[in-house]
Amino acid sequence: MSSETAKPGMRSAAWRISLWATLAFACGTMLVFVFLHRFVADDIQRRSDAWLSGEVEVLGDVAEQTPRNALYDRVVGEIAELASKEIPNKLLSETSSNNSVFFLQTSGNGTPILWVGAGTAAPFLRAIQKAGVPENRPADIRVEGFTVPFRVASIRIQDGSLIYLGLSERDELRVLRKLRIRFILLWPLLVLLGFAIVFFTTRRMLNRVQRITEAASHIGHSDLTARVPSSARNDEVGHLSRTLNHMLDRIESSMHQLHTITDSLAHDLRSPLTAIRGKLEMSLSAPTHGEQAEAVVAAIEELDRLTEFLNTSLDVAEGKADALRLSRSDIQLDELLKVMIDLYEPSMSEKDVRVSLRCSAPIRIHADAALIHRMIANLFDNELKHLPAHCTVTLQLESRKGAAWLTLEDDGPGFAPEVIPHMFERRVKGRKSSGHGLGLAFVEAVVRAHGGTVAGSNRESGGAHITLSLPLS
Amino acid sequence: MRLLVVEDEHDIRVFLRNSLTEAGFQVDVAADGKGAERLALDAPYDALIVDLGLPDMDGINLILRLRQIGLAAPVLILSARRSVDDRVRGLEQGGDDYLTKPFALAELLARLRNLIKRNAPTANEATRLRMLDLELDLLRREATRAGQVLQLTPQEFVLLEYLCRNAGRVVTRSMILDKVWGMRIQPDTNVVDVHIYRLRGKVDGRGQHPLIKTLRGVGYVLRDR
Repeated sequence: MSSETAKPGMRSAAWRISLWATLAFACGTMLVFVFLHRFVADDIQRRSDAWLSGEVEVLGDVAEQTPRNALYDRVVGEIAELASKEIPNKLLSETSSNNSVFFLQTSGNGTPILWVGAGTAAPFLRAIQKAGVPENRPADIRVEGFTVPFRVASIRIQDGSLIYLGLSERDELRVLRKLRIRFILLWPLLVLLGFAIVFFTTRRMLNRVQRITEAASHIGHSDLTARVPSSARNDEVGHLSRTLNHMLDRIESSMHQLHTITDSLAHDLRSPLTAIRGKLEMSLSAPTHGEQAEAVVAAIEELDRLTEFLNTSLDVAEGKADALRLSRSDIQLDELLKVMIDLYEPSMSEKDVRVSLRCSAPIRIHADAALIHRMIANLFDNELKHLPAHCTVTLQLESRKGAAWLTLEDDGPGFAPEVIPHMFERRVKGRKSSGHGLGLAFVEAVVRAHGGTVAGSNRESGGAHITLSLPLS
Repeated sequence: MRLLVVEDEHDIRVFLRNSLTEAGFQVDVAADGKGAERLALDAPYDALIVDLGLPDMDGINLILRLRQIGLAAPVLILSARRSVDDRVRGLEQGGDDYLTKPFALAELLARLRNLIKRNAPTANEATRLRMLDLELDLLRREATRAGQVLQLTPQEFVLLEYLCRNAGRVVTRSMILDKVWGMRIQPDTNVVDVHIYRLRGKVDGRGQHPLIKTLRGVGYVLRDR
């Protein structure tokens, strides 16, 4: 159960969510701007069109009512210039140089009668004729020498001449350009701000998930009392942590149930065993006949074996359910193995079995000493019971990848082939084995409870091979 | 030596009273926590034997309550539970001891004597142990039999020392494993027997009077008769 809590960085969900959200936000704001721009442009045009239409009508009236004398040009010209001072969308910064408005009166056949504006009438007239400006409806014309198009409205007066009033779209375009520039400057900031907000909120949210994950991964085999951090907030994450905690409550209660059952089973069996053992011992101390004493001794030995079987059996049952309770302390594993070899060596050499340990450095683990002792004793008992004479048992202890690795090899007959696939299961034993078939199941239960692994096989050169790992302290 | 046994199981209570009386103790018994409290207040005891699973209260709570009202005697806790509770461990560090059921009488007696001895003012530790013509020099870690130095490994010396310290008293295999090798294990092979057999070969060899005796079904004892 390793907990990978490394910084997720670019691969984190917060990062990806923020990227997608920002992309959507950027596209959305861009779209909104395009619509806004269109709306503003249309609105400006509509205003200038309304002004043009109104103004051209006024000028038409003036032109109609002004008598065609020497003053005609001056009167109409001044009115036209006056009108140009009131143009809409005019920028204050603009100089008064009047090149944004022109007034043109032509006769019915198209010869200019009166011109008020910058330069000469000719290019304007050409542009008007080329574009074919309809009456009473403003239209765009492009005039040579001007980069900005003009908006032109026209009206026919009673004498058959045409009056054109043109307004440069320069100011209108400038307004729109300013709008665009401001948007282009503001847009990345807006997107960045959007990204930051989304990123930090999702990260805050996902950090809560991360904390729950971390806490959940630390809730180990034996420590079921811990809970994941929960918040009062009633959002999805709060719901997740509450659901997890409810689940842990249920697991803890069923674990507690299992412990109660195994404990009361142990208790209910041990009390009578104690009474029986006491009676047997009492009868042994009383003067009895030799043969009877022999039977009592055998009964006591049998009873001790039964007790040990009961203990191991319950441990294995709890181990299989990941419910083995550990009382951890620091253990010097290499020292323990030396002591264990010292204990077993005479019995082994009695059978002409040699045992050796290879270990280069001290190795410490944080584990349940009583269980580890019994587990290693089980491995040694196994070797002692199953190895024929003249064999060698080699133990190797090393620390690798944050765990202590113990390898046990012998050059004996190895495991029976039919046993290998499920040698760590309860009551699995070789045909010739005299044991109760709990030895290796117990080994597996203890190793698992400590978060380690165990594997067994036959060596190619013959003989058994068992490797087990236990996390270092 | 006066003992108080607190045990709710009738059969075990009777067995404990009989065997402890036979071993020379003066024994009072109680079947529950209330009775134990009454007795413990009335008379001074040298040690208590308390079962953890009492009908009216938890054994540990009883011990803590007795301690509160001034009980100084050491306690041997009997437990039918499989795992050793942290609170038991706490008491163990405080000078008490525990034994899991079922137990060998020899082990119960050994632990009891150990507790009482630990509680009593300690006399000067002997540096030499002697049994007939077997002599152990604890400082030089050397054993001699009839003047002849025995060639013992360090572990064999520790084993012999343990037997000598308990001379005349039975020690079980699990006691030997606990005290000499520091492990509470129950091997289902004869590892301890082989160690004893080897030690006996060195100590009792060459036709000398055998000192290390085997009591089948019980354990071993070092004695001269």
